Amino acid sequence: MNAFLQHLIPLLIAAVASMVWLGLNALVWVYCERKFAGHIQRRPGPFEVGPHGVLQPLIDGLKLMSKQLLTPDNADAPLYWLAPILSMVPVLLLYLPIPYGPVLTGMNINLGLLLILAFSSFNGLAVILAGWASNNKWGVLGAARAVSQTVAYEIPLLLTVLAISFMTGTLNLVDITTMQGGHIGNWFIWKQPLAFLIFLVAMFGETNRAPFDLAEAESELTAGFHTEYSSMGFGLFFLAEYGYMVVMCSVCSVLFLGGFNGPIPGIEGWWWMLLKTYALLSFMVWVRWTFPRVRFDQLLNINWKWLLPLATFNLLATALIIKL
Amino acid sequence: MEVMAKIAFGVYTLVILSGSILAVTSSSLVRALVGLITTLVGVAGMYLLLATPFMAFMQLLIYIGAVSVLIFFAVMLTRAEKGGDEGGKAPMKTYVYGLAATMAPAALLGWLIMTKPVDSVAVPVEVTIKQLGDGLLGSYFLPFELISVILMVAMAGAVLLTWEKRGK
Repeated sequence: MNAFLQHLIPLLIAAVASMVWLGLNALVWVYCERKFAGHIQRRPGPFEVGPHGVLQPLIDGLKLMSKQLLTPDNADAPLYWLAPILSMVPVLLLYLPIPYGPVLTGMNINLGLLLILAFSSFNGLAVILAGWASNNKWGVLGAARAVSQTVAYEIPLLLTVLAISFMTGTLNLVDITTMQGGHIGNWFIWKQPLAFLIFLVAMFGETNRAPFDLAEAESELTAGFHTEYSSMGFGLFFLAEYGYMVVMCSVCSVLFLGGFNGPIPGIEGWWWMLLKTYALLSFMVWVRWTFPRVRFDQLLNINWKWLLPLATFNLLATALIIKL
Repeated sequence: MEVMAKIAFGVYTLVILSGSILAVTSSSLVRALVGLITTLVGVAGMYLLLATPFMAFMQLLIYIGAVSVLIFFAVMLTRAEKGGDEGGKAPMKTYVYGLAATMAPAALLGWLIMTKPVDSVAVPVEVTIKQLGDGLLGSYFLPFELISVILMVAMAGAVLLTWEKRGK
């Protein structure tokens, strides 16, 4: 029993910490995104609530929570409310295996990478349930669009991740990070530049971010699967999206940018991990407000005609080089 | 530890059973699918309990992430309504047959386990991915290849079928 408690208590602490971390990140990034957007597109952004509008996300959260929860007529109510919960809960698990430091890892397991991939695949299910249960044709169409995108972009993502685990021989995120220790030349971005680029593009597709945000374009495409959701129903989808963004950027910095390793030996620490993750997040925001949205057939063509063959080629080349 | 394992076994059994009951009793196909997914999650938990996290995560990744979404699309394309023929009450005979069909394998397996207990009653040891890969490409190479051939044939068949349809 004691041994069990010894395992359980750190895990519980990690779970609560990742919940807090997710909430904090969402709050900060909603604000940052609007501010960045304001600067990139030369418009003020939030300025009214608090100094420089810093209280805006808090007020937005309050607004979301105080609105009425509506269930559409003839909707399948249990499934309708299951969907946002199903999209939110797995995200909390995704934070557990991410190594922020040698000690600062929620759960150091051998299959950390696989855990992230497995639980992030719940998102497609949540989206299609939401679209179907809304009893709304736009909802169903949006869900079909979103799912075909998520399923398609998962394949090149998996293939690039596989190339990294071919090289390292492990799926443990801590081990992958420690293998990149030392100086900046050991980071896998130099050994797998193609995989890094593919991962970067697939990341936008997976998290439904612009220029690949056809799954949830707000007004132009009737928002898609979450059209009918009011209040925190929408809020949970929104939080889950920000959660996925942070997870994907963390995984990207662990796999390619050395995780908590610094560029020169001797200065490792969680701040490097945060710095890299936030640099990638800022890049995502920058791309969103710079590039126009692609058309849906273009989106799928990019994936099936470019990313997938390139990722397969990269995987085969990696296997060949390792064998030699 | 053993008590916790037993509690976990009970919880996963409950998840599997409730999922399967939901799957067979609900009149809406999508709800039945949700029941199926619940059952699959429970089975993934069972894999975790057997110290095979790789199988558990693969179960989640493949069955919940891919197969259930595929079934969902199939259900949506059939436009199955709530008030279909299958939605009505079934005759008593069906229930009796169904019960017999469920009990028969359960009784057989239960009898086997009771009379011929398996050697490994100790705490299972986690199989590393390296061992798994060695096994798949070493001693179990032939079954592994046969399965991939079957999958290839199925894929080729599906492509062939859709090809004919497009030509018309």
